[in-house]
Amino acid sequence: MRALLMIVMVSVTLAARGASPAAFGRRCIPPGCVATRSNTPGILARRALPAGRIAALGATPDLHHGLLAAQEAAAPQVTSQDLLDGLKDPTRWLTYSGDYNGHRHSPLTQITPENVNQLMAQWTFQTGTLGSFQATPIVIDGVIYITGFNNNAWAIDARSGRQIWRYRRNLPEDLHNCCGPVNRGFGVLGDRLFMTTIDAHLLALDMRTGGVLFDVRLEDYKVGYSATVAPLIVKDKVIIGIAGAEYGIRGFIDAYDTQTGKRAWRFYTVAGPGEPGGQTWPPGDSYLRGGGSIWVTGTYDPQQNLLFFGTGNPGPDYYSHAREGDNLYTASLVALDADTGQLRWHYQFTPHDVHDWDSTQVPVLGDLTIDGQPRKVVMFANRNGFYYTLDRLTGKVIVAKPFVQTTWAKEIGPSGRPILLPGNLPYEEGARTCPDLGGGTNFMSPSYDPTTRLFFVTARETCATYFAFDQPFKPGEQYMAGGTVRPRDQRNFGALRAIDPVTGERKWEFRYPSVSSSGVLTTASGLVFAGDGDGNILAFESRTGKNLWHHQLGFPLRSTAGTTYMLDGRQYLLVPSGSVLTAFALPPR
Amino acid sequence: MMLLLPAFLLLVAGGLSRAQERSATHPAGKNPHLDNRQSIRSGMALYRVRCGDCHGLDASGYRGPDLVAVLAGGATDERLFETIRKGVAGTEMPSSDTPDDDLLMIIAYLRNLGTVAPPERPIGNVENGGRLFGSLCTSCHRVAGSGGRLGPDLTRIGAARSRAALVREIRTPSEWVSPAYETVTLVTKDGQRIRGTKKNEDAFSIQIMDVRERIQGYLKSTLQDVIYEKSSLMPAYGSERLNESDLDDLVGYLSTLRGVDVSVR
Repeated sequence: MRALLMIVMVSVTLAARGASPAAFGRRCIPPGCVATRSNTPGILARRALPAGRIAALGATPDLHHGLLAAQEAAAPQVTSQDLLDGLKDPTRWLTYSGDYNGHRHSPLTQITPENVNQLMAQWTFQTGTLGSFQATPIVIDGVIYITGFNNNAWAIDARSGRQIWRYRRNLPEDLHNCCGPVNRGFGVLGDRLFMTTIDAHLLALDMRTGGVLFDVRLEDYKVGYSATVAPLIVKDKVIIGIAGAEYGIRGFIDAYDTQTGKRAWRFYTVAGPGEPGGQTWPPGDSYLRGGGSIWVTGTYDPQQNLLFFGTGNPGPDYYSHAREGDNLYTASLVALDADTGQLRWHYQFTPHDVHDWDSTQVPVLGDLTIDGQPRKVVMFANRNGFYYTLDRLTGKVIVAKPFVQTTWAKEIGPSGRPILLPGNLPYEEGARTCPDLGGGTNFMSPSYDPTTRLFFVTARETCATYFAFDQPFKPGEQYMAGGTVRPRDQRNFGALRAIDPVTGERKWEFRYPSVSSSGVLTTASGLVFAGDGDGNILAFESRTGKNLWHHQLGFPLRSTAGTTYMLDGRQYLLVPSGSVLTAFALPPR
Repeated sequence: MMLLLPAFLLLVAGGLSRAQERSATHPAGKNPHLDNRQSIRSGMALYRVRCGDCHGLDASGYRGPDLVAVLAGGATDERLFETIRKGVAGTEMPSSDTPDDDLLMIIAYLRNLGTVAPPERPIGNVENGGRLFGSLCTSCHRVAGSGGRLGPDLTRIGAARSRAALVREIRTPSEWVSPAYETVTLVTKDGQRIRGTKKNEDAFSIQIMDVRERIQGYLKSTLQDVIYEKSSLMPAYGSERLNESDLDDLVGYLSTLRGVDVSVR
């Protein structure tokens, strides 16, 4: 059985490795070469693997030498440099947002505004499990790696949509998680895949088999800790965050060694007594239940060696008398040293949040010219309904403007603090506020096109009546202390919006009849891909917002609009929706 | 944090009434908290903490299903109990190890919220109300398998709506229109107008039941216009069309509509 499996694996990996370079008119002959990029983006060169690196792939001594050599040579290898290069090698999609900067912008140009309406489904992959995808698929040398509901995960042949392996996790039955056992995908380094689990563990899986290499407990799931983020791999560390603020947890961002699984550092998103920011919590132990979940993968600036993560709402969500103060570092953007986890700066979008407005959106890093000056910025469309452009070096606000209807703050003041409007504090009798608890946007990924300098976000136009009531804390029980009701006269809708990050002005929008939780993907050919709330994947012209194509998938996209990559000379658009993965491409030429 | 995942609570509407299916051995078969004010209050407190985030504080649904509709649709207490206890696999609906008694109080609260007890004495002349219903309402509303389909099926409406709500919906039906019955007029490229209630829609298509009860989908690209009307297709029955006495009789009749047993024996 094992030998048979090896033969299958070898044939698959050989097929995979031959094809990627062939896409660019070259062929990689085994053993000992991997596809790599040349200085010209989009063009692949060949390079021999040094003997030492082959050895480092990990030999299994009881295997036949010839098979072993072939498999070693064909093993997909992802280096730290590959991660830094990101989408410069367009046959691959190696990290959550494609690149460390969070742009979700592919350099590929085969699919264009002129031909996008010829896209056809090439294959579909059905998980056969309940629950929907929220993961961004990883693509490496002809193989797709994706995680799903309940921490199932798959390796899938990118040519045919056929499964190569499947990982299943035996999850405990007494899980506590607020928002479903979803997962946002893999991180990758070397021949390892990294996944967080809904029972608050971090796993390293063997890329070739799905076998578990290490399994690290992050925290105790029994009291409500859980994890859904796709790990961010930086140098030799796996960066993850914990979730569970709806159960009275104390959030954190952790770094683990990619080889040993040993924890390198921890940054608590809720400041404790005596720590900087600790004075923004009342005396006592409320900080231990202070929330600050990390639901979404952050970004990384290699030049400054800084990680950027948005942090979740404070706990309890609504009734806030037990947590007087600003509640740092919840509902904030934190910039952390990637080696030590030390806080470099923070900006709090929503001080003392009472509306469940996690700031766990993807912080998008860019370089803009503002008032004639080159600025390194972070672009951030927040759940609280405001779009922000922040200075990446200092965290100071450059631009802050609502991108949906907001009724809780008049504006963001010169100090960067929101100027609150009265009547928005939830109490027993309820207060109507826009946006609703789902926010102006949420966990879905935005995209930034540096050519058009437009920021694209899935926006939600919503309002809710918020209520708050006192609630005693019990470990392992939901600790929200309130809730919401949708006003009967409220008609929610969604939209894809293009925002100029220099001014915060809306350039165009495309309205959806219902709200959407889809991410956005852009390409250098001037296309924007996004999903509506009704099961369509859509393509738009990025400058104008003109709708060029759509396809009804049968279930809305969540978190992501998929990935795009080159394979065998064809550009694929890979879209997870529901429990189905669909690969689109143009007809073969 | 809120992930906007749909939970598919499989509380399928059964044809049997609650009383008929109540089992003597199941905990929910002899719920001591039903109709007990103190228990209902405790159930409300439990509901708000454990259920309200997904199902809405008013149980009319948010991420999770509309429980008022589920109850009005005939879900039994045993089914409710089992769903809360076991959760729904593959959705956000978790299992619960909460004591039986807490679950029963939550059910008592939901029953109090979602259903209307029969009046002690009939209101109005039910017989006349039935006649009025037959002449005014059955072209659009269905009861026990007969009548029109354009408006909601009213077979259980007496258990689902208070008298005040029934009066409001008869006198001013356009005050609030359920999303499943919003009025639209589609204008085709050749100017033909098709009026009906919207059943579904996305950016590119719309599905309706037209006033002749045809269910049909249209591609928006083939239409000249889609007009979303504010008012209900149901006419307002003001006092000039339905005097107070007749209104009483009609509401009296509607409040007797509490479901039928559709099982074939």
